[in-house]
Amino acid sequence: MTGFSPWLAAHLTVLTLWFGALCTLGLYSVLYKENRIFRLFEHIFLGLATGFMVSNTWTDVLLPKWWVPMWDKGRWWFIFALSAGLLYYFIYSKKYNWMARLIIGFFLGVASGQTFQGFVNDTWPQIPATFKPLVAHPAIPAAAGHPAVRAVTWPDAINAWIFLIVLVCVMSYFFFSFEQKHPVLRNSAQLGRWLMMFAFGAIFGATMMARLALLIDRMFYLTHDFATVLPAPIGGPVVGPYFMFGVIVLLVGLIVYLAVRSGPAEEETGSEEL
Amino acid sequence: MTILRFLQEVDRRFLYALLILAVTIPFFLPLNLPNVPSPPTIALFNEIENLPPNAFVLLGVDWSAGTRGENLPQTEMLIRHLMKRKLRFALIDFADPQGKLLGEEIAQRLQGEYGVQEGVNWVNMGYRTSDMINVLKAFEQNVISAVPTDVNNRPLASLAVMQGIHTAHDISMVIDVTPSTTYQAFIQFLGGPYHIPMAAAMTAVMVPEAYNYFDSRQLVGMIPGLQGAAEYQRLFEEKYGKIPGTTSTQQFSNSLSFAHLLMILLIILGNVAMILERRHKARMGGPA
Repeated sequence: MTGFSPWLAAHLTVLTLWFGALCTLGLYSVLYKENRIFRLFEHIFLGLATGFMVSNTWTDVLLPKWWVPMWDKGRWWFIFALSAGLLYYFIYSKKYNWMARLIIGFFLGVASGQTFQGFVNDTWPQIPATFKPLVAHPAIPAAAGHPAVRAVTWPDAINAWIFLIVLVCVMSYFFFSFEQKHPVLRNSAQLGRWLMMFAFGAIFGATMMARLALLIDRMFYLTHDFATVLPAPIGGPVVGPYFMFGVIVLLVGLIVYLAVRSGPAEEETGSEEL
Repeated sequence: MTILRFLQEVDRRFLYALLILAVTIPFFLPLNLPNVPSPPTIALFNEIENLPPNAFVLLGVDWSAGTRGENLPQTEMLIRHLMKRKLRFALIDFADPQGKLLGEEIAQRLQGEYGVQEGVNWVNMGYRTSDMINVLKAFEQNVISAVPTDVNNRPLASLAVMQGIHTAHDISMVIDVTPSTTYQAFIQFLGGPYHIPMAAAMTAVMVPEAYNYFDSRQLVGMIPGLQGAAEYQRLFEEKYGKIPGTTSTQQFSNSLSFAHLLMILLIILGNVAMILERRHKARMGGPA
C-alpha cells in the first residue's frame, strides 16, 4: 500500500487516526438514536473484520500448512483435505446431503472427545480445591510419609467456613430429584438462591466495569491519540487534548439540547433484533 | 413529586452525556486515586518475578480492537515485565487475527526501551485460526512442528529465541490475554496436563467466574480487567521505577472510579426517589 503512493505512505498514520476518530464518533452517534451514519460505520467495521479474518486464515494457516506443502513440496495427498472440506457443501443438495453428514459426524466425534477431555482437565482439579482446612493450626513440618503443611490462620479458617457454607447451600438449591420439604434443606436452598443473586450482581457489576473500560479507551483515543494529529493551533500534544475535550463537551451539550427538544427517547425493546 | 418522577424516568441520553463527561474529565485532573493491588494481580506479578532467567513464556494475545480498552493495557504491562526481566516469550493468537498485529505492535514499540530484540528475546507465532486445541495438544510432541514459522514466515527453528524449546515441557509459563474462554482451553490442554503455571489477563466481565480457577491454582494469577492493569502497573513501578512517558493506565483507572461513583449515585438517587414516591402515594391513600 505504501508503495502505491508516497503521499499515502507519508500520511498513513494521520489518515489512520482521522479514520479512527470518525468511526468512533459515527458509532457513538447511536447513543442519541439509531441513524444511517451509525449503520454505515457498523457495516464498515463488520466488513473489515470479516475480510481481515478470511485473508488471515489463508495467509497464516491454509497457505503455509496446506497449499505450500501440497503445491511446492509435492505432498499431493493434501488435496484430500480439500475434498473432505467440500463435503460440507453437500448440505445444499437434497439428494446428496447425506455426504455432508459424514464430515459433520466426523468433526462432532472429534469435538465430543476433546470436550470430554477438556471437562475432566477443567473440573477435576477444582474438586480437591474445595477441601479446605476449617480449623486454624500452626505450620506442620515435613516428616517421613507426609509433606509439610502450611499454617492456617483464623481468618483463613473463617474464609474456608464461608466457602463451605456457600458451596453447600448453592448445591442444595440444585437438588431437583426430590421435593425439598425438610426445613433444613428448604432453608439452605433458599439461602443458596440468595447467594447466587449476590454472584449475579457481582457479574453484572463486572460487566458494567468492562463496558466502561471500552468507553474510556475511546474517549482517551479522541482526546489524546487523535488530538496529537490535529493541525496547529488546535492540535498537538499540549493544546490538542483540551481542544478535543471542548469538542466532546460541545457534542454532549448538543445531545442534551436535542434530547430536550425532541422529548423522551423511544424505548428499545430489542424485538427488532429478534 | 415532579423531581421524584424525573429521577425515575430520566432520559437515557442525559445519562450517556453525564457518563461521557465522567470518564473524560479525570484525564485532565492531576489525580492519584488509591490503587491497592488485589491478590490475583500480586500473585501473577510474583510468579513472573520468580521465573528463572531466560525462561520461556507463551503469551496468548487472543483479543481484538473491540476490547482494546482492557486488553491493551494488560498486554502492555505483561510485555514490559517480561522484557524488563529479559525473559524469552512468544506471542500466539488463536481467537482473532487482529491479536497478532496488536500484540506485535506493543512488543515492537517497547523492545527498544528495554534493549531486547525480536527473534532473540521474543517472537510472534502469529494467528493459528480456531484450531486451538489441536495446536496445544501438538505442543506435547513438538512445538516447532506445530508452529513451524513465525508471523513473517521465518522458520522458528532458526530463531535464537526458540533454542532449547522442543516440547510443552520446555515452556515455563503460559499467560493468556483474552476477552473470551480461550484461557480455559489453555488450562485444559496445556497448563493442566503438563503442569505448566498458567495465568490469564481477562476482561472484567469474566473475572467472577475465573476466580474458581485462581482458587484451585489452575490459574496462578490474574489481571482482572482494566483495574488489574492499573494494579500491575503500580507493582511494576514499585519494583522497577516509574515508567517514562505516558501513564494512561492510571488515567484509565481514575476515569473508571469516576464512572463508578456516578453510576452508584444514580442508582441511589433512582431508588430513593422510588421509595419516597411510594411513601407519598401511601400517605395519600393510593396504591403503593
